[in-house]
Amino acid sequence: MSVNLGQLAAVAVPAAVLIRLVTVAAAIVLGRRGAAARTIALTGSIVASVMTIAAAVHVLGGGGAVAGVLLHHAASGAVLTFSMTPLSAWFVMVFGVIAIPITVYSASYFPHAIPPARMAAVSAAFNVMLGAVEVVFVAADVLTFVFAWELMTLATAMLVASGHEERGNRRAGYLYLVMSHVGTGCLLAAFLILAAAAGSLSLPSLLAGHLVAGYTRTAVFLLFLVGFGVKAGLIPFHVWLPEAHPAAPSSISALMSAVLITAGLYGLVRVCAFGLGTPDVIWGVAFMGLGALSAILGVLYALTQGDLKRLLAYSTIENSGIVVLGLGAAMLALAYGRGGIATVAIAASLAHVLNHAAFKGLLFLGAGSVVMQTGTRRVEQFGGLLRRMPWTGSLFLVGALAIAGLPPLNGFVSEWLTFQALLLGFGATPGFVRLIHPLSAALLALTTALAAACFVRVAGICFLALPRSEAAAAAGEVPAAMWIPQAALALLCVALGLMPGVVLSALGAIVTSLPGLQPVPLVMWGSTGIASPARTFDHLVPATFAVALLAAVTVGALAARRRAVVRRVPAWGCGGVLSAQTQYTATAFSKPLLMIFRAVYRPTREVEALADVSPYYPQEVRYRSVIEPTFERYVYSPVLRAVLRVANGMKALQAGSLHAYLAYVLALGVLLLLWLGGSK
Amino acid sequence: MPMLPEVVRQGSFAVAQTVLLLAAAPLLKTAIKKMKARLQNRQGPPLLQGYYDLAKLFAKEPVRAETASWVFAAGPRVYFGAVIAATTLVPVLVPAAPLEAAGGILLLVGMLALARFALATAALDTGSAFGGMGASRDMTIAALAEPALMLGLFTSALAAGSLNMGGLVRSVLQRGLVLYPSDLLAFAGLFIIVIAETGRIPVDNPATHLELTMIHEAMVLEYAGPDLALVEWGSAVKELLYLTLLVDLFLPLGMAADAAPAALLTGLLAWALKVFLLAVGVTITETTNAKLRLFRVPELVSVSLGLAFLALAIRFL
Repeated sequence: MSVNLGQLAAVAVPAAVLIRLVTVAAAIVLGRRGAAARTIALTGSIVASVMTIAAAVHVLGGGGAVAGVLLHHAASGAVLTFSMTPLSAWFVMVFGVIAIPITVYSASYFPHAIPPARMAAVSAAFNVMLGAVEVVFVAADVLTFVFAWELMTLATAMLVASGHEERGNRRAGYLYLVMSHVGTGCLLAAFLILAAAAGSLSLPSLLAGHLVAGYTRTAVFLLFLVGFGVKAGLIPFHVWLPEAHPAAPSSISALMSAVLITAGLYGLVRVCAFGLGTPDVIWGVAFMGLGALSAILGVLYALTQGDLKRLLAYSTIENSGIVVLGLGAAMLALAYGRGGIATVAIAASLAHVLNHAAFKGLLFLGAGSVVMQTGTRRVEQFGGLLRRMPWTGSLFLVGALAIAGLPPLNGFVSEWLTFQALLLGFGATPGFVRLIHPLSAALLALTTALAAACFVRVAGICFLALPRSEAAAAAGEVPAAMWIPQAALALLCVALGLMPGVVLSALGAIVTSLPGLQPVPLVMWGSTGIASPARTFDHLVPATFAVALLAAVTVGALAARRRAVVRRVPAWGCGGVLSAQTQYTATAFSKPLLMIFRAVYRPTREVEALADVSPYYPQEVRYRSVIEPTFERYVYSPVLRAVLRVANGMKALQAGSLHAYLAYVLALGVLLLLWLGGSK
Repeated sequence: MPMLPEVVRQGSFAVAQTVLLLAAAPLLKTAIKKMKARLQNRQGPPLLQGYYDLAKLFAKEPVRAETASWVFAAGPRVYFGAVIAATTLVPVLVPAAPLEAAGGILLLVGMLALARFALATAALDTGSAFGGMGASRDMTIAALAEPALMLGLFTSALAAGSLNMGGLVRSVLQRGLVLYPSDLLAFAGLFIIVIAETGRIPVDNPATHLELTMIHEAMVLEYAGPDLALVEWGSAVKELLYLTLLVDLFLPLGMAADAAPAALLTGLLAWALKVFLLAVGVTITETTNAKLRLFRVPELVSVSLGLAFLALAIRFL
């Protein structure tokens, strides 16, 4: 019976790819008939996701890795192979579980957001992107991996630039392509170095960990770090992310932010942490540093954003940073041979991948609904939406609580685990290196608290009090087909928060499959409780505590319930009438933190008062505040200028003169002959 | 059902301890007010004033702003609930917390963060600028205090080998009356954080309703009647909780060894005395300092952060 299941799982992966191919082809053929094309492409996508999830569940449930061939081209002998290891299965499962609600949402959302002429193309690209990411996760050889990686990039770029009438979207798409290809270039170089050493293209043999040593190993590590870091949105490789994620249609933004970045994270785990042999101490330190930097800067930039989708994109950088911070702690523990502690850190990291996917998907879908109903992305233009969009608003609040890392929701669980890993790592690390653990913990605490401030701001300004614009006042709830997927994701956030043991037992299969990790008894009390190894530090049973919390809230509600009738009165408007203009703004909300962290933001501001009679009685006050784009200005601009300068210099060599080109060919021929002759 | 008696025992322990803290909290608040007044040559309120105020507020007609949604009503309830639930994670009279099997310090910090999140979000619900101002400042200070708090707790937890409040207290008790220099530094650091988190001078002034300086009071300005009662009571319990936390981490002596009435009474007296001493410390701090400008608070908090880091460094390097 189990053999049959294993065979089924092995067939499920190529079958899912086939379904995607067929439905994409059908969508393209249907072309003009946008609605039919959309239905076919998205339905195919859901079916394929269900199949890959089933295979992943089989692998994670102890069925062992499944492998096979995706394509065998007999004439050239080219073979595309796949292998779903427990680690791949984890990422495939996270991806599928989040992709399905997003796809369901898209089916109702696309007609509002995408012009009919582009419907077939966008739906097909959507399906291609999902399939490409799945193949990235299960690829078993370099050819398959790079092919899927590039397909993923191109399909995404197409979706990002799908609204290409707007200059900003074109620029975002271009930036995404350029950055992705810098990353892909690094990956190719690194894979070629490894392939030359291995004499093979299969990933397991390339990533056996003993192929390269010394400086070559460090170089390969750095190339992979850049290559995957770009996709994961790690600072300083992040510049494309806050441009590209908001430019895409909202459900695609959700997909990119929630699960597309996991492709980069998968690479970092599979290759950088476990594919190049035991990590060096400095690798772990670098990962922790990059992770903490991305987390803190990501949340700081998110905090002051005025564009809802950009804000969520920056928060994705933050969460990517938290994942990499945990990963770095694991690598450091591995470098010191502490497999048990590395296991806790890896569990924290991988659990946060899932948790982030759940709440970021939820928040981006909510933002998409809000943007669709109001026609703007400016936080300052919303307000009062909770009354007008009760489902979307309430579900967004759940997402805000989860992303702020508050118990008893899922964000708290993975942050709890990360703190455990940092505490355990402190004791396992000798000398001054250990200080990186409390420093990271302090930064993580700051990040979490800033995320809470950020989402109080978003939830409060967007959904509460009075509408701040006519569009917000006129907004209505989205159809049920759009809020039900959000409800599913919100439920997932609650369930993962209350039953972290389920996640951790699934992660158990991964731990035994990765080199250097030692399984530790992470799970206690079945599905609801978790504990650090041997209960040294802490344990957590969120469900028990949720009951206590519920009881306490009920007691409070009962105590305050003397009279059922509540008198409604106008709020105090300081003698004036309360209006949209007198409300506190999002800009004002984050102003104290902007001032306190001005060393990071380096804000410039202009205040201009237009007065007729006296400057003390201005008719109009204009306020402008800009945050300096530090990385764009000080890191990327110099690089860009250098590239342009070199390109300009090349003009002298490549000016279109046929004679000059013939001379180059001749010179090259002579040089080659000399070289070959010399080597004999 | 062999589990049932254990559940009942834990449950009644949790309820009893929570009731104790709920009952004592208004007294602490008034006592600090009274001591402050005496230091300023004023008479001050009677010691039971806190209870009178709560009784009056609970009996009032509930009034809410027209512009507010359900979030406004949910805010005080979640705030109160989260603070009350958090009390079950802290040992008070005996060296064990009622729900210590459910989680430790991180859960405690998370619960208090949930309470703050609920109240700050609700403050934005009326559309009044005061709510926004208070919420913004409260979240700012909390964000700044969080790393210092975490680092301070980190030090204690590493020394004790446990992040669980019960385990931590037991480990400190086992160590006996040995006070490391690092403990003094960590205590000073955490005391600053407690001042900041409970909205005391020099960070916030609980006695003012001056528009430009209030923080916590601005956030809850739109509340009245039973809603306000929950906020006031919750914040009183929160203050007591923080002081109890300091007592637990640094001087848990005198806790009852068993559940015998005499031992419990000793534990109660010891706890009351220690909390009272800390309250005197809070009062003196409030009386001898002026409120800081909001943008000077980061300096104060970085002192705390520095102390916590120093404590960690000299303890473990």
